[in-house]
Amino acid sequence: MHRYRFVLYRPLQLLPVLFGISIITFVLVRLIPGDPARVLLGTRATPTALARIREQYGLDEPIWLQYVYFIENLARGEMGKSILYKIDVLRLIATRIEPTLMLVLTSVVLSILIALPMSAIAARRQGRLPDHAVRVISTMGIGFPPFWLALMLIIFFSVQLDLFPVSGYGDTFVDKLWHLALPSLTIALSLSAVITRSLRAAMIQSLRSDIATAARARGMPERIVFWRHVLPNSLVPTINLLAVNIGWLIGGSVVIETVFALPGMGQLLVRAIFSRDYMVVQGVAMVFACATVLVNFLADVVTVTVDPRVKL
Amino acid sequence: MTAPLLSIRDLVVNFHDDVSPRTLIDHVSVDLAEGEILGLVGESGSGKSLLCRAVMGLLPSTKLSIDEGSVELSGRDLVKASSAEMLAVRGREIGMIFQNPSSHLDPVMKIGQQIAEGIRFHQGATASEAREAAIAMLAQVGFPDPKRQFNNYPHEFSGGMRQRAMIAAALSCRPKILIADEPTTALDVTIQAQILELILDLRERLGLSVIMITHDLGIVAQTCDRIAVMRHGRLVEQGEKRQILAAPKHDYTQMLIGSHPSLPAEEMTTPAAEEMTNCHKTKPLLEIDDLHVRFDVGGSFFNGGSKVVHAVKGVSLQVMPGNTIGIVGESGSGKSTLARAILGLTPLSSGHVTFDGVDLAQQPRQAVAKLRRETAMVFQDPLNALNPRMTVGETLGEVLRFHGTPSADIPGRINELLDLVHLGREFADRRPRSMSGGQCQRVGIARALAVNPRLIIADECVAALDVTIQKQIVDLFAELKERMNLTLLFIAHDLAIVRNLCERVVVMYHGEVVEEGRSADVFARPQKAYTAALIHAVPDIDPDKKLLAPKIAAPTAA
Repeated sequence: MHRYRFVLYRPLQLLPVLFGISIITFVLVRLIPGDPARVLLGTRATPTALARIREQYGLDEPIWLQYVYFIENLARGEMGKSILYKIDVLRLIATRIEPTLMLVLTSVVLSILIALPMSAIAARRQGRLPDHAVRVISTMGIGFPPFWLALMLIIFFSVQLDLFPVSGYGDTFVDKLWHLALPSLTIALSLSAVITRSLRAAMIQSLRSDIATAARARGMPERIVFWRHVLPNSLVPTINLLAVNIGWLIGGSVVIETVFALPGMGQLLVRAIFSRDYMVVQGVAMVFACATVLVNFLADVVTVTVDPRVKL
Repeated sequence: MTAPLLSIRDLVVNFHDDVSPRTLIDHVSVDLAEGEILGLVGESGSGKSLLCRAVMGLLPSTKLSIDEGSVELSGRDLVKASSAEMLAVRGREIGMIFQNPSSHLDPVMKIGQQIAEGIRFHQGATASEAREAAIAMLAQVGFPDPKRQFNNYPHEFSGGMRQRAMIAAALSCRPKILIADEPTTALDVTIQAQILELILDLRERLGLSVIMITHDLGIVAQTCDRIAVMRHGRLVEQGEKRQILAAPKHDYTQMLIGSHPSLPAEEMTTPAAEEMTNCHKTKPLLEIDDLHVRFDVGGSFFNGGSKVVHAVKGVSLQVMPGNTIGIVGESGSGKSTLARAILGLTPLSSGHVTFDGVDLAQQPRQAVAKLRRETAMVFQDPLNALNPRMTVGETLGEVLRFHGTPSADIPGRINELLDLVHLGREFADRRPRSMSGGQCQRVGIARALAVNPRLIIADECVAALDVTIQKQIVDLFAELKERMNLTLLFIAHDLAIVRNLCERVVVMYHGEVVEEGRSADVFARPQKAYTAALIHAVPDIDPDKKLLAPKIAAPTAA
């Protein structure tokens, strides 16, 4: 089990990474032009009112001191008060994190469900019609911009066929999945395309590998050769590709959440940016960064599980 | 004579390209009798592996097809068998093992599972029955702790154990025939001897018939009953082993036997005295003094103590100008690390390497510069060591220009170099892809000679070549040595080649020099048990010189 020892010490190694991320997001957010106090009070606010707001939110302190407060708050499990929503940012995020998490999860599951059979079909019939079809589909999946794809799906599935809701988020679990169908399909169509291309190439290589030849020489039927030898040996490069893409997806949910009016983190971020709600922007950015780091950590755990040679 | 177990009749395999079909196996007929070991001999590209793939119904490309002939196995023609029938033949009636166990075993599956897999599929055994059978099989091929080792992955074993595991997987369903495709080529001689011994032993116990594909006539002489020689897809000659080895009829077989680098008997005892005296008058060109090379492997701040691999442990060596020294040892003995350290390609941990009076440890900059100017290296894989985008002329020209040859002289020098290595001058315009392995290695040697080196280090430079080509390259080295008074460090695992080429030999084991001396002396009267074991493990082409599977104990500290 010592191969899994990194699960214990890797989080310690991640601390400095998160520290660096916090500095960068903190500083970058303050480089955004505009004054949050003025956004809050409007253009006709008096200078004294502006000053009071700045003082109330600590905006009149030097930047380094603001950072110290920020870290102090973090240690207490707070992220400062949102200027717009008047509640603590962490609590605000907690109310918004579920739709985004669900969106990412359903998209990834859907992508794998699409990519696995597609690449298996393509690799096993390389150079024949199904393979060409899969390649055309995956090239299209990569080529179509998600916002356009989303609109097309809405027009077809919601407006014409009336199968799925146009936008919003449900209350019960089933209702939520129901609402997430089109958004996650939008993401899955492009994400599965990326995965399919990588997995198909890896599978074709494995199908020709000595491992497959040896299994065939033992009299294993092609079905066993493929599912027990070719597939596990093709997974490792794809796992890392998937992890990178999930990281991108977490940030990329902004567009999809806006199109489908999902009350998630992406939507929250957009509104926070427009109203110069510093605390929210840096809070969301921190959560996105942590999520990306976490996903890559999980990918490492999966890689170690799949490939016994890997040591971390 | 009883009817043969397996009978290949007039088999033709064609490669169907866009143009016209090319014949890769041309009307080959071979029989395998029950309990017999048939040696299938030939060089790479002779079609010997392809023939066996055809028998198994596992042609490596869809463009290949069996167009004529038959393969009869107990009354059935395998060529006409359906793919479902072939599934039952493979593994259950014919088992196959391959050259490289590392790439043929599934790295992400437990070794026991790979053996049990076949038992479950072919015999319909339950998981626990298959597990029991697999453990028994592991024990049979020599795993000391099969119960525990069932759960190990291939990368946790040495090359020899991996080959044993592959044999276990191939034999798990008790096939009558085993096809062994170069089963020991990737292994050290001592391990090779053990694996061959195992195959002979399993034949006795399980009543196997074996087709042994190999390029090494020594292996054939030691293990096989009959020999079939293939060349260019045709069967050149076949017959009883002794008859063919003693009186080969075909020219090609004669050449094959002639190129076999067998160890000559201990008759050569040239007077050593004169050589010793004129050696001691000159200063050594290369002096290695108590050299240590250590590598840190893995280990990080959180990962606890890092591991140190001690690749070279206190090697001392003197190389006189004009000497040819062979460094032999098994993989992992540190011989390549030693070569890299000498050339300054690997940092020294302690000790000294002095090349022509300049100490690599004390004056690293000058020494490395001097080494780059005055030494050259010839690599193991000739094709990968050449830039595929450059013609031979460009490759040589680059080296010459870098070492300050005036542009006007370069074409002339290129021609000279090509002449030296016996390549036609038209080769200057060719690229590595369009040349054979032997020709590529000649270019590699020409490139090494381009610097006018005082020292050449050849690292396993013939290991990847066929025997007849090997002989040509070794002859070339011998000739260059005479003509140019080269100083040569020749690293090899093939003892016979070193014996024939080098005056002195250094035997390495686990990073240490075990034995050193004049080749003739060391090979005739090895002082250390390890050296003796190494020499005895080489399969001799004389079938009466029995192959000994040595139990290698760590040599007593030298």
